[in-house]
Order: sequence, then C-alpha cells, then structure tokens
Amino acid sequence: MTIHVIYGTETGNAEMVADDLVEALEHDATVTARDLADFDPAEVAERDFVILVSSTYGEGELPNSAQPFFARLEAQAPDLSGLTFATFGLGDSFYETFNHGSRILADKLRELGATELGERGVHDASGGELPGEVAVEWLKGLLGAHGARVMAGEAAAEAAS
Amino acid sequence: MTAPSIAIVGAGPSGCYLAQALRKQWAETRIDIIDRLPVPFGLVRYGVAPDHPGTKAVTRQFERLFERDGIGFHGNLALGRDLALDELREAYDVVALATGLAADRRLGIPGDDLPGVYGAGALTRRLNDHPDEQGLRPDLGRRAVIIGQGNVGIDVLRLLSKPEAAFEGSELSPEALAACRAKPLARLDIVGRSSAAEAKCDAAMLRELGRLAGLSFHFAAPLPAPESTEDKAAGQRLAAFHELAERHTERHTESDGCQIHFHFGWTPEAVLGEARVGAVRFHGGESGQEPLELAADSVITAIGFAQHDPDLPGGPEAPRPDDQGRLAPGLYCTGWLRRGPRGTIPENRQDARAVAAIIAADLGAERPLGRPGFAALPAAAIARATDFAGWKRIQAVEAAEAPAGRLCRRIPDLARLLEIAQATPVGGP
Repeated sequence: MTIHVIYGTETGNAEMVADDLVEALEHDATVTARDLADFDPAEVAERDFVILVSSTYGEGELPNSAQPFFARLEAQAPDLSGLTFATFGLGDSFYETFNHGSRILADKLRELGATELGERGVHDASGGELPGEVAVEWLKGLLGAHGARVMAGEAAAEAAS
Repeated sequence: MTAPSIAIVGAGPSGCYLAQALRKQWAETRIDIIDRLPVPFGLVRYGVAPDHPGTKAVTRQFERLFERDGIGFHGNLALGRDLALDELREAYDVVALATGLAADRRLGIPGDDLPGVYGAGALTRRLNDHPDEQGLRPDLGRRAVIIGQGNVGIDVLRLLSKPEAAFEGSELSPEALAACRAKPLARLDIVGRSSAAEAKCDAAMLRELGRLAGLSFHFAAPLPAPESTEDKAAGQRLAAFHELAERHTERHTESDGCQIHFHFGWTPEAVLGEARVGAVRFHGGESGQEPLELAADSVITAIGFAQHDPDLPGGPEAPRPDDQGRLAPGLYCTGWLRRGPRGTIPENRQDARAVAAIIAADLGAERPLGRPGFAALPAAAIARATDFAGWKRIQAVEAAEAPAGRLCRRIPDLARLLEIAQATPVGGP
C-alpha cells in the first residue's frame, strides 16, 4: 500500500503541506509527495489512495503546477472508479474564489468515477493558523474515521458501501 | 560530489526560494542568507501591501528554512558597507545575489523631480514601516495622480483611499497611515498607457476596490464590453472595471469618500508646476486625441523598479548576467536582479529553482571548492551580524505590541530592531 500525496502549487505552500502530511504518515505507511506537474493521470488510475493538496490562484483557478495535469486528465478521461482520494485545499478567504482550485480537481476526479473520502480539508491564509498543522489535524480526523481501512487498502470498498 | 558552501545575499522571497531549492539539492551543506537588515523576507515584509496578510503568509514557509532546514540567517550585514563582495567570495564557494530592485523607476520627463512626486515603492515601504523611509512624510494634498496601473499602482490607490475602519485585521500601523494620509484625499486619478483590457492589474485587485465602502469610481471614456476580447484575463479585467463603473451609478449621490478616476491609453509628458507639483500632462500616443491635463497636488509613480543602489557590487556598471543567472565563476543572481522587476512571488520561485539547477550543473567546473563559509568572513562582519533568533525576538515584540485591530506593530526604528536582535550578543566578545 502506497499513499501518494500529490500537490499543485505556485508559491510552494501546498508543497510544504504535502511534506508535513508525508512526515505525519511515514511511520505507518509507504508515502511519497509528488508535484502534480510530474504526475501522470495514468498513475492515478492505479488502485491507490491519493491525498490531493492544492492551492488556488488568479481568478479561482488551479495553481500553475496543476494545470498540465488537469489538461491531461480531461484529455485522457481515465476510468478512476478504483481510486479513493481525500482533498486538502489552501486558499485565502479574502477572495471570493476561496479554495476553488482544490474543488476543481476534486470535482474532476469524482466525475471520472473516483470516490472522495471524508470531508475536504481547508486552510485559510487569512486565518493565522499554520497550514501544515491544520492539514495534519485534518488527516488525523480522516484516519480516525477511516484509517484502518485506508491503510489496508480497503478505503474504496468502505467508501462505496 | 562534494557540496559547496553557499552564501545568498538578500533574504527576500527570491533569496529564500533559492535557499530552499539548493537545500533540496544538498541536504547537508552550509547555506547562509545575508541581509542588510536584522529582519528577513524583503519585499514580502516591506513590499506586499500591509492589508494583504494572506499574501504575506508565505513567510511561514520561509521561516521553516531557518528553523528546520539549517539555513543560516545573518542580518545587519550590508554588501559594500560591512562586507566587500570579494570577501564574501573568498569565504564561500558559491555566492548568489538576490538583492532585488528597490528603487522606483523615474518617469524620465520634465518635472519628474518636483517636490510632490513620490515613488510607489517608497510609499509602500513607508506604509510597511520600513526603517529607511521614516523620514518620508508625503504631502499628497487633496488631489493625487497615480501614474501606472499595475498591481503596485492599485495597492497604493487602495491604501490611500480605503476607509480607516476597513484596515481592521491588517498589519498597517496607525502611525504609518497618519504619515501618508494626514488629510483625506478628495480625488485620485490613476492613469495608464494601456487600454482598459490590457491594463497591468489583476481583476481580483479591482474587485477588492469594489468591496470598499465610501469610494466612487469614474471612467472618462466608455469601457469596451468584456466579450470584446478573446483573452480570458483581459475579459475578467474588463468585467471588473464594469462592476466598478456600475457601482458608481448606483451610489454616487451618497458617496462622500474619495472619488477615483481611471484613465486609459495616456502617456505622461510633463509634470507641471513651479515650486511643486501643480498638474500632469499626458499625450494620447497615436490616438490623435488632445493632450490630457490633470490638476494634481501630488504625483505617485508606479511604473516599475530599477537598481540604483551604489553599495551593490559594480553599482550602475554591474556586470549583466547571462540568461541563466551567471555573473562570474561561482557568482550568480536570481529574482528581480536577474530578470528585471517583473513577476510575482510564484514566478520568483520558478526562477530560483532554475538558477539552483544551474549552480548544481556548474559546480566545481571553474572554481575549486572547500571554502569554510561564515567563519572565514572578516571578524568585524561576524561581530556585527544578527541571527534568526534575533528576528524571532523582534517578531515576538511586534506581535505583543499590536494595537487594537492589528496583527502586529512593526518596529520602524532600526536602532530598536538592532537592540532587540542583539539582546543576546551574537558572534562577538
């Protein structure tokens, strides 16, 4: 069982969050953090558990490093019915487009058949909390509810039941 | 392969991103960032508007470099003043300059040095309590003209016209606000060379203006429809301008706040006045329009940044880097210093990563390694340097002294910053 933390970033904040999630998980699972810029949708289609971390830029758009991935995802439209994922978004509630980036990605994965596990986590840059701490708290909550099965690779089965 | 000792000059976003990228390259090697101030983060602290704390949040990522990733911070060390570039290059295998471009680009037209002409960068530093700008008490009068419609121009427009109550939750100090806004402005004109569609600001910046109470927005000429352009960003920008224009029609009778007038397609020709600014004249380029003359008590230039720091190596005759950021063997530059004053924080991250890759590829080819780093600097430089713990003490004081409704109160006085940073003597006897 390998958990991929995949992130889309512009300033590097989402990468930092991904690094923190890896650190929180690495005692219990094989876990890697990868930039969406270097990630192929074909890899997502493998039966794995993926944690998606993404910021939001411009007019509520995806961050730069996620855009080519999203374009390939649309073009290839792989069957993701075997995939379970969880989403953590970064944004700034100062803007109306708060956290749109992570939503765009999550919506697309679901559209392709993937199952989203638990509540989407969010960090607000205007909120004063550390994004990594918020993300690790969110992950603990998620694993508290679904953890044993995620680790056993049965998350998809549970989420579907 | 042996790892080099690395010094980065400038603790702004470009310098911090470079350190981050180099640390990923070499997990163990000595990497130090040197800054002339005892506080890090450069333009994130002193250039990003004080009412955009979300944008400043990137510093949490940078702090981790010093707290966890073993990057050294040596403040209060100015290249040219406390340390010669040659001395730095003797001590470190690799030196990278990330000192940015701090000077406001001048208009270069008659009258651009009249009293009453201010640079947007200097004004933003003043509003961010930069120690160098404490002498700046701009006299903006009742009518100011902002030249330049990039995000920096819009920042200044907003900071000068936003109702005081709306600064709740920001980092703007009451003192800085009072220094720049002794009297409320009745009217602000903002003039750009581009058309409305091609204006250099982001739509999100314009929509932020639209959310502020008490302002009214005026457009001298009809705006093109958002559908008139294929370009997505231009369409969003035009839509945002339309929202401002419509808002004015709805509420202009009740508005007693600042009147904001947008003008597109005008090139500045002369700042007019005897003892100080009285008006600005613009021409319409090839449009054949009659020149535009705007009465003004003051002019704020927001047309970009330039280097004029005589303390920097080479001064105005500084060697131009090649397109990969090389200045000389073992000497590099990154960020605005390399590419010019364009690009936001994320673009400088990309830039730093590219330069880090070049540094790694060049390593050892022209210059043998083995220099020890900070300990090999002249004793006087080592003695005066402040450290990251000193910055954390400053940060704690600034948070503790936050006035009501503010996140912190930045310390504008360099002597006090140094006193706090040096509370535990660093490196000295």
